[in-house]
Amino acid sequence: MSRYNLNEVLKARKAAKQGVEHNAGGEVALDDLSRVKVLSPGRQVFKRFIRNRLAVFGSVMLILMFVFSFIGPLFYPYGQKQIFYKYEPRDVNYGMVKENTAYTGYDVANGAEVERAVNNKMNSIIKAMVAEGSEKTAWLGEASLYEIEKLTDDVYLASAADYEEVATYGSAVTEIGTYSMVGKKIEYAVKNPVDGLEQAVKDAIAKDAKGGEFELDGVTYTYERGKAKSYAITAATDGLQFTGDAPGEGFEAALLAGIESGASFDFEGESYLPVTNVGVTRVYRAASPVPARVYSRLTFSTYEVGASVPDSFRAAALLATATGGAFEAEGQTWSIERNGGDWVVTDAAGEEYMELTPYAVRRYNGDDTMEYGLKKALTEKALEMHDSGVKTGTLTYALPMQTETGEYVVDEAGNISYQDTELKLSQRDTGEFVVNCQQIIYVINMFDAPSGEHWLGTDGDGFDVLSRIMYGGRVSLMVGFVVVFLETFLGVIMGGLSGYYGGWVDMLIMRLVDIFYCLPSMPIMIILGALMDALRMDTYIRLLIMMAALGIMGWAGVARLVRGQILTLREQEFMVATEATGIRVKDRIFHHLVPNIMPQLIVQATMGMGGVILTESTLSFLGLGVKHPLATWGTIINSVSSASAMQHYAFIWIPVGLLICVTVIAFNFVGDGLRDAYDPKAKR
Amino acid sequence: MLKYTVKRLLYSVLILFFVMFIIYVLMYNMPSGYVETKARELASRPGATKSYAEWLADLNAQYGMDKGVVQGYFVWLGNAVRGNWGDSWAWTIPVTQEFHNTVWYSFALGFVSFIFEILIAIPLGITAARKQYSFTDYFTTVVAMVCISMPTFFVATVLKYVFSVKLGWFDLSGMQGRDYLTLSQFGKFLDVAKHFVLPLITLTIISIGGLMRYTRTNMLEVLSADYIRTARAKGVPEKKVINRHAFRNTFIPLVTMLGGTLPGLFSGALITETLFSIRGIGYASYTSMTQADIPFIMFYLAFISILTLLGNLISDLLYAAVDPRVRLS
Repeated sequence: MSRYNLNEVLKARKAAKQGVEHNAGGEVALDDLSRVKVLSPGRQVFKRFIRNRLAVFGSVMLILMFVFSFIGPLFYPYGQKQIFYKYEPRDVNYGMVKENTAYTGYDVANGAEVERAVNNKMNSIIKAMVAEGSEKTAWLGEASLYEIEKLTDDVYLASAADYEEVATYGSAVTEIGTYSMVGKKIEYAVKNPVDGLEQAVKDAIAKDAKGGEFELDGVTYTYERGKAKSYAITAATDGLQFTGDAPGEGFEAALLAGIESGASFDFEGESYLPVTNVGVTRVYRAASPVPARVYSRLTFSTYEVGASVPDSFRAAALLATATGGAFEAEGQTWSIERNGGDWVVTDAAGEEYMELTPYAVRRYNGDDTMEYGLKKALTEKALEMHDSGVKTGTLTYALPMQTETGEYVVDEAGNISYQDTELKLSQRDTGEFVVNCQQIIYVINMFDAPSGEHWLGTDGDGFDVLSRIMYGGRVSLMVGFVVVFLETFLGVIMGGLSGYYGGWVDMLIMRLVDIFYCLPSMPIMIILGALMDALRMDTYIRLLIMMAALGIMGWAGVARLVRGQILTLREQEFMVATEATGIRVKDRIFHHLVPNIMPQLIVQATMGMGGVILTESTLSFLGLGVKHPLATWGTIINSVSSASAMQHYAFIWIPVGLLICVTVIAFNFVGDGLRDAYDPKAKR
Repeated sequence: MLKYTVKRLLYSVLILFFVMFIIYVLMYNMPSGYVETKARELASRPGATKSYAEWLADLNAQYGMDKGVVQGYFVWLGNAVRGNWGDSWAWTIPVTQEFHNTVWYSFALGFVSFIFEILIAIPLGITAARKQYSFTDYFTTVVAMVCISMPTFFVATVLKYVFSVKLGWFDLSGMQGRDYLTLSQFGKFLDVAKHFVLPLITLTIISIGGLMRYTRTNMLEVLSADYIRTARAKGVPEKKVINRHAFRNTFIPLVTMLGGTLPGLFSGALITETLFSIRGIGYASYTSMTQADIPFIMFYLAFISILTLLGNLISDLLYAAVDPRVRLS
């Protein structure tokens, strides 16, 4: 045996390498030392490992995967959160034609103000007038009484007037005033006190100081004791009761007619407004009305695209619709003329300037940027459709031409080129007409099929799928590494202590291991995920918490393995030697015991990586792990897991799913291979 | 044997006590805002039977959430031991009733896939071991590894894609067809069975890998034993060697392991049931978990822990029962 002493062989090798002729010129004998091949333990493991085809396959896949995820993004032009856009001709809602039904107010020049509460109500007041066909009505505000007068169709003028209450009608309780016992006087709340009321009150109080009723001139008064020796006096009236002077004969008949119609009425040249509230009608008289605001449902379309029309101009034009002819605005004289249902405004030179029409033609987003001819054409088409009762129709009109990138084509002179475009009109159930046409617009490039630009297409957010997969791989692999490291770290410490000390430490730690073994980790991770969802936690913090939780939940297995190994190792001679040489306990465990269980730890860690990646991707798939916009393999699949997305966008989820499988398989193959290589006789 | 059983049983109870304590602490530390929001949501649902305050009061009475952690734990434990598990938030019926409604679906799913798993994995494992290093062996090993490595959701998605979307044989999810109510009793059974096919395949695929490898390893070990060589040497037919001598001995670890997984058949398949919307206990608990249904979650986690401990216990006891060489002390 001594002939094959390892040291001698190595020495001989070294000598041979240095060029010293060991066996000068002679034949190599069968039992020559140089024939003995000696491999270091590491190389032996390596040799056994690469003999295992599956393990080599796994290693190659893993290397590829690491290059792909960690180096790939460096060379790949797109980022994980980069959104891609494209220009695409689409059938868009281009514009809308609708009959304007809302009455908009414009301030009359030098007019009174309309208080806000009334202004807000004006639209419904005018609509009520239109429905009833009334020419004039009034509305009581806080500060003024507003008379609303119809000027022409669609144009109404609101004037603010002073008002006073002239009468009440119906059974009403009127507050007369307060009678003070100190001053023996009535402080009147009404304007024209009845003679002898003071005396009547005095008499009544003398009869009954608490309060009661008395009659005077056919009116029943009630007095009630209040604070500070005073009495509140109220009068109950029935029928017409004037607050001030009676306007004259026949007023009552006019009032009754007014109450009947609910609108204001004129009597002897003055305007009265009855306001009925819970059976009692109060009648107000308006005095000296001042024009305040003109309301109209007409819209203003100028011949020049986008010309701005100030409100005062609009108000002046609307007022002119009643008087007809010319009006002054913006320092010019304009004239207005009726043209069918519309009004045409021309300037002093006789050029048509704008048109007032009840049909509003706007771009779909509400902008008033359509040219006049188009507006006119669309209005006519819509009216024609409305008259014939068809719901859809088409119209061809020249719209600005677009280039492929959505810009307008401009000729040499700087004018926009036009191109005939088919416009499709369709009436909605709510009455308005929507205009559709093909336009080139800038959209997010969603669910683009694989192409030269995006090898695996784009996903629902316009992200490039391949770059998402690369970055996702980074996160998934990193999660695997961190969690396994944490597990192993905790496991080695706990298992090492437990195995080395034995006794009560072992007992305690092993019971802890049993408890952690029993904890259902997946449900707990799901609960944690749902909780973090509810707290709207930042996705990076989620990632950290998830890794920590997985690590804490998984150390028990490693601890068991380490303890088992250490229990057998600590009885061996080299451990006795460490004890004899007085090496510190810490070093004994972590320098002498743990390195001896490294092979098992490496195998365990490699296999564990696969498991962690599976868990992480499952959690992310359920939407409870790493969140959008951070990519992981699980979230990418989750984004297309609905039935329709699954069917149409298989190019997204199939590669990712395969990638997960391949990575996990690779880790398992490598783990298996390592175990076989370290210890060929071990039980699988 | 009896002494050992009793000892193990008591020991399991002790572990369970601490496991439940950890879970209770987790639940106890849920941000109260979160719990209150959920209770409010629950009370504002159509057909809500209890008001927001009532739910919270119930929770406190049941789980002692208004007391200290340790004291509260004993309140809950006292209730739980008496079988008083409270009302589920997500399902608004008593937890135990929801458990009865769902567990049998899970059991059916688990049991049938268990049978399939045994029928497929064990013969394949034995074949692979008999022809070690052959093509069959490699093939089986690779298949087993692929099955182990595939995420459940990917298997489920692929199956759905192929069989539901492309071929249209099965519904995407759910466990009843749209004409379920018009079917006869037997028709109803067939309808549900049809909806169970894809989940079954999923469960079987992801579980056969492990058993296959386990069988192969143990069979290999047995095949290299001396008594097999002796049997072959004395001319026993190969068939008999494998089926009588080898398989019977491989049976010991297999029975031990399978026995240990028996309680797990009740635990439900969390991911698979959720993906296929099978109203088993896994799906119920997943829904509960995402809705902070503390009563049901506590019940489910306790249930799972008991099943795990029971599995370990059965596995250990079976080991002694099957193998006469092992004598437990």
